[in-house]
Amino acid sequence: MDDRKTDESAKPALGNGPVLLKLSDVSKTFDSTTQSVAALQPISLEVNEGEFVVFFGPSGCGKSTLLNMIAGFEAPTTGTILLQGRQVTKPGPDRLMLFQEHGLFPWLNVIDNVLYGLRRQPGVWFKRRLRRQRARELLEMMHMQEFEKSAIHELSGGMKQRAALARALAPDPKILLIDEPFPALDALVRAKLYGELQEILVRTHKTILSVTHDPNEAACLGDRVMVFTGRPGKIKAEIPVDLPRPRDISDPQLAQFSSRIMAELGEGLKS
Amino acid sequence: MNGGERKASSVYVILFYLFLLTLWQSLYSFGAIPDYLFPSPLQVGRRLWELGWEGLLWPGIKATLVRMVIGFLVAALIGLSIGVLMGMSRLVYRCLGSLFLGLQMLPTAAWVPMSLLLFGLKEQGIYFVILMSSLPAVAIATSDGIVRIPPIYLRAAKTLGTSRLAMPMTVILPAAMPSIVTGLKLGWTLGWHGAVSAELIKSSVGLGYLLYMGRELNDASQVLGIMLVTILVGLLLDRFVFGLVERNIRRRWGLETQE
Repeated sequence: MDDRKTDESAKPALGNGPVLLKLSDVSKTFDSTTQSVAALQPISLEVNEGEFVVFFGPSGCGKSTLLNMIAGFEAPTTGTILLQGRQVTKPGPDRLMLFQEHGLFPWLNVIDNVLYGLRRQPGVWFKRRLRRQRARELLEMMHMQEFEKSAIHELSGGMKQRAALARALAPDPKILLIDEPFPALDALVRAKLYGELQEILVRTHKTILSVTHDPNEAACLGDRVMVFTGRPGKIKAEIPVDLPRPRDISDPQLAQFSSRIMAELGEGLKS
Repeated sequence: MNGGERKASSVYVILFYLFLLTLWQSLYSFGAIPDYLFPSPLQVGRRLWELGWEGLLWPGIKATLVRMVIGFLVAALIGLSIGVLMGMSRLVYRCLGSLFLGLQMLPTAAWVPMSLLLFGLKEQGIYFVILMSSLPAVAIATSDGIVRIPPIYLRAAKTLGTSRLAMPMTVILPAAMPSIVTGLKLGWTLGWHGAVSAELIKSSVGLGYLLYMGRELNDASQVLGIMLVTILVGLLLDRFVFGLVERNIRRRWGLETQE
């Protein structure tokens, strides 16, 4: 216990809340008929409230598998995942996942997509006006208020991701899981979204876990970057990024961190 | 296709049909086939006009349409429910999927003898034929649509806290809607076949009955005319009811690029 305290004090300003998510010896092996493949070696990790942790690594290093297990889409082969002391068994809005391809429902317009998660919450069905108000606030925060009645296919790629983010934040998840944020967008739109994501982080003190293979993105977003190496996946290094927020993706200081992250990976690839 | 091109291509389509009419008329004028077997477009038009004037045509169309709407609604409802079950259970899919695929091999008219045995000349027999004709198509399309839902919608729904009970109405049916509408469209066409086939033998009103009457009276103009009306009514509904809905949904669901 004392260990943990010293550990925490070393962490950057945002993520110094109590432990929210605790992974103990979580591993994953995929069994097929011919062979079993170890996707992830046992990993232990604690994520504090309000912290932004990035899983960084090449594809096939198990980082997405780990995110899927935290979301509850897959069960770990060994180990336990505890969210505020309760074991994770299935997907739920307390660990909401934001997908690579936005996953917005095309049969609903923008605001109905944002309302979707709110409507699924038990016991809030009667608070119609409150739900709508919350959805509007979120869309406003994402600068999407003029598009609340738009159909999904009318939105640009960046707007789709912003709408998806608003939808993911609506049920007020304890932890937001982001699988490769904004991969299919151009650099300008991404830079803007990084800014907005950090703004949300500062405003809502959300705990966020994200997965990426872009070292700049990792350095820009993370309070802590966990560098994964592949086959079987394991965490090779942990790099705290103690730059003030909001960070600019083109900041030279940030580039130092991203080259450190890459360097860790480079060693990992050689060994 | 932009507006101008579309207009230009419509002109070609109209020209094509004018050409067909001319071809028909000239085949008639050429006199290769006696005119009581092969009437001219004018004769057919005149006969349809007479049928309309005598108050036979419109009630006929109406009777067939009413039967269709009722029979099809029942078929759609049952087909949808079965399709959802098939889509959600692998076992049900494997059992009923093969059965319905097999049933689709049957020409819709092949249900008529069975319906005569079961219902005699009663009206229910026509509904039975419509039901059996369109139900398999609706069920198969619904289940295929469900099986092929992009996994991301299901994952998104789960992570947003959708309960098992809420899944079908909030995600599965809407996500499968493009395929369902295509199935309903096909079901309507097959049901329309079935309705007219059944009326040929079992009814005293309706398009199929008018066809049958034409044959009984050796009136080739009436036979051809009613065939044309059957095509036209079916086509109009296909284009302007199902076609529009289908296009709208496909565009909205992002399956078709906007023009």
